[in-house]
Amino acid sequence: MADILDILDIEHPGASEITRDSIIHGDKVKKKYVTTKAVRRPEGMHREVFALLYNDNKDLPPLLPTDTGKAYKQTKAKLGMRKVRKWVWAPFTNPARKDNAVFHHWKRASDEAKEYPFAQFNKQVSIPSYSESEYNQYLKSEDWSQAETDHLIDLCQRFDLRFIVIHDRWDKAAFRDRSVEDLKERYYNICSILSKVKTNPWSNTVTMVNGEKRIYHYDAEHERKRKEQLKRLFDRTQEQIDEEQMLLTELKKIEARKRERDRKTQDLQKLISRADSGNSTTNNQANVTNEAAMPTNTVSNIVRRHDRKLHKKKLATQQRPVRTVETVTVEWSGIKFPEARGTGVWLRSQRMKLPPGVGQRKTKAIEQELRLMNIDIAPTPTEAICKHFNELRSDLALALDLKNALASCEFELQALRHQYEALNPGKTLSIPPSICNTNADGEAKPLGEIIDVVGSPGALNSTI
Amino acid sequence: MSGPNGMLYGGDEIGALVFDPGHHSLRVGYAQEDTPKADIPAVIGVGPATHIPEAEEKVPDGNVTQSNTKKDELRYYIDVTELHVPRPGMEVQTYMKDGQVENWDLFEKMLDYCYSKVIRSPSEHHPALFTEAVWTTRPAREKLAELLFEKYQAPAFFLVKNAVLAAFANGKSTALVVDAGASQTSAVPVIDGYALVSAAVRSPVGGDHLVAQAKHMLNNMHIQMLPIYSIQSKEVIRERERARYTLKTLPAGLTHTWQQYMLKRQYEDFVHCVAHVSETAYDDRSAASVPGLHYEFPGGYHQDFGPERFKLSECLFEQSLGAPHLVCAAAGACDADARAALWGAVVASGGGACATGWLERLAKELAGRAPSAHRLKVTAPPAPAERRFAAWIGGSILASIGSFQQMWISSQEYDEGGKGQLERKCP
Ligand SMILES: Nc1ncnc2c1ncn2[C@@H]1O[C@H](COP(=O)(O)OP(=O)(O)OP(=O)(O)O)[C@@H](O)[C@H]1O
Ligand SMILES: [Mg+2]
Repeated sequence: MADILDILDIEHPGASEITRDSIIHGDKVKKKYVTTKAVRRPEGMHREVFALLYNDNKDLPPLLPTDTGKAYKQTKAKLGMRKVRKWVWAPFTNPARKDNAVFHHWKRASDEAKEYPFAQFNKQVSIPSYSESEYNQYLKSEDWSQAETDHLIDLCQRFDLRFIVIHDRWDKAAFRDRSVEDLKERYYNICSILSKVKTNPWSNTVTMVNGEKRIYHYDAEHERKRKEQLKRLFDRTQEQIDEEQMLLTELKKIEARKRERDRKTQDLQKLISRADSGNSTTNNQANVTNEAAMPTNTVSNIVRRHDRKLHKKKLATQQRPVRTVETVTVEWSGIKFPEARGTGVWLRSQRMKLPPGVGQRKTKAIEQELRLMNIDIAPTPTEAICKHFNELRSDLALALDLKNALASCEFELQALRHQYEALNPGKTLSIPPSICNTNADGEAKPLGEIIDVVGSPGALNSTI
Repeated sequence: MSGPNGMLYGGDEIGALVFDPGHHSLRVGYAQEDTPKADIPAVIGVGPATHIPEAEEKVPDGNVTQSNTKKDELRYYIDVTELHVPRPGMEVQTYMKDGQVENWDLFEKMLDYCYSKVIRSPSEHHPALFTEAVWTTRPAREKLAELLFEKYQAPAFFLVKNAVLAAFANGKSTALVVDAGASQTSAVPVIDGYALVSAAVRSPVGGDHLVAQAKHMLNNMHIQMLPIYSIQSKEVIRERERARYTLKTLPAGLTHTWQQYMLKRQYEDFVHCVAHVSETAYDDRSAASVPGLHYEFPGGYHQDFGPERFKLSECLFEQSLGAPHLVCAAAGACDADARAALWGAVVASGGGACATGWLERLAKELAGRAPSAHRLKVTAPPAPAERRFAAWIGGSILASIGSFQQMWISSQEYDEGGKGQLERKCP
């Protein structure tokens, strides 16, 4: 230890240096280091730069290389004049041992005897124990005999619950071979049963959460399956691994190609929608995707399935007009304006901004309605106006949605009637006036062009 | 022990001894040292006591354990200085068989020698830690404990599997240890400092097999290995020229076993110098491109060995007996959850692993065989001595760790519990 103290230049309290002074002046020990006022490193200066300016001697570094120290001239090593502290070959007992065996080791004569320091590392896992009657009462199992259970608990104790080692040392001559999962299952089962019936549970399987016992549950079935999977993973042959690797790279290629295709489709769609002819949009779009989906039936299954799904979706859109009954649901209910804003200063007019979820068409429609009602599109945002204006627009949006939904219901109704009449020539379907709304017709039309009700096909709106 | 709380680097030395018996040699020394004090051939010369006058002069300072010179008394010659002297009637015997001690009387002679000539300190002062092979039988273990406690009065005793110690020597507690010894090569998985006995595998292909191959090869090349003790003088000759030498007059009655033993040592030397493991399976062209190595035989004959060097060591990597196969088999026998850790720490130890290129070849073959889901890492200490003595060094480390001192079976415990507790205390 003294060596390390020397290296670190730390003064050891026990051994003072013998100098002529200390002998002559006896106990009047002069303090060796005069603490000089430490120069503080100015804020922001790098440590390296500071070290250049101020070394230990607190003087500036020389401009020219100099060699003033007697480092090279000194021929003899300066040996410390410390008093040697004695070592003794001393007996000791180790409290971690049960037998009080006496061993010997080297220790400083000056060190007072204390407990063997390594004894503190003697840690053991606590394993449940049970009596004969407890076993018979609670732990009986068809699969496990008591002798086998005892053997398991004994091994758990000896190998500190290292189940892989326990499995290795399992007495295969006396008991039948069991898997690691079997052993774990039995052990944790015993733990949970005993911790329910006994008062002092085992720390490693029972945790207290809010004063309530939580017992570790071992899911043996899941573990078995997991290990089965793991084994299968390890047992793959080189060909299988190569094939998988090949498929993965192919998949990557296909995905890249698909992204490219999607990008092109989108570009095309943009062009088409600019022409703004709803009917042709869907058809074209479907055609484009169909075409694009064609070359993919080459390699990976996954990708094929994915593409087929895409394909189907497009087909569904195409088929829609053929379908006769369409349920129209209005999911939209006004506009939700965000309540809390971030910290800091903000303009109140910000509160009147429509949230980004509201589409372009809807915004336009609301503005148009406002104009019809002779309301300013951007009123002065006082607190009250803000509130009311937002409420108004929210209601307007809802009203628009409802009107739209009504229009499409109307259309469905008419379509059904026509279908009915076509299928039963000569008969007319009389629609009760309570569900018929004829005067809404005129109003719904322009709106239908602007707003797209959720769930109703855009193609239909334009055909009314 | 020192330091402010008495725990400098976790070590605490209590004067323990570490013994590592093997088929080739017995390693013995103090715990906490980095190499064994002695590496003694695992054979003992047994001969009549009275023959060579010089040997009798040596008796007082005693490299010989029994100094009685009566007729019919046997004397035991141990360690190279005694053993490698031609003596009429001296038979060479080994006490090892199948990885464990078999002839206990001879082994006692060896331990006597260790305590009196190597340690030079009474056995009752030193706890003794022994290494053992994984498959050591229970009677052999108990016999050893009995011997140490009852004959040698050891204050404490402990047995550890050598694979575990080799892992410790490499700073690992979980490893797949490949031990390329003299009599066999083995692969033993070690988990948290416990060897998995049921997953351990071994094959009889070891250093001795390689030596036998070398003998065979030299015979086929018509190169004679003359016993070095029989050569009086030899002339300097050109490469591949016929050897010219004069023979010594040897005492009559040299035994066959001793001559064979001496020749084996010479073949071993040849193998250590010449054998070279090629990085991939042997093929003529790449082997021919590597420069040859010169070797001079005791008779004076000398020549370059080229492709033979690689061909010779190929027997160590035979399909189903070589180290790579053993490693795969051992890993495959382990629980699936343990495999990743084992593949990540394949540790090579034993004298055979010192052969040039052996480790590289092992790593290469394993890389081809290991499941690709695992990260494979093959390690061994860089210095050949550390590789050969890995098990001993591990024992030296273990026996000088402070927290290990509670594990010893003390003589008190032995007196109370008998040798039956060995299975429990030294798993
Ligand atoms: N440099 C080397 N090249 C090749 N082989 C070597 C080398 N050094 C040692 N050996 C071989 O290693 C073997 C000795 O190894 P080791 O000391 O590990 O065996 P052991 O532990 O005594 O035997 P075992 O483990 O079989 O009981 C000998 O056969 C020796 O020929
Ligand atoms: Mg060995």
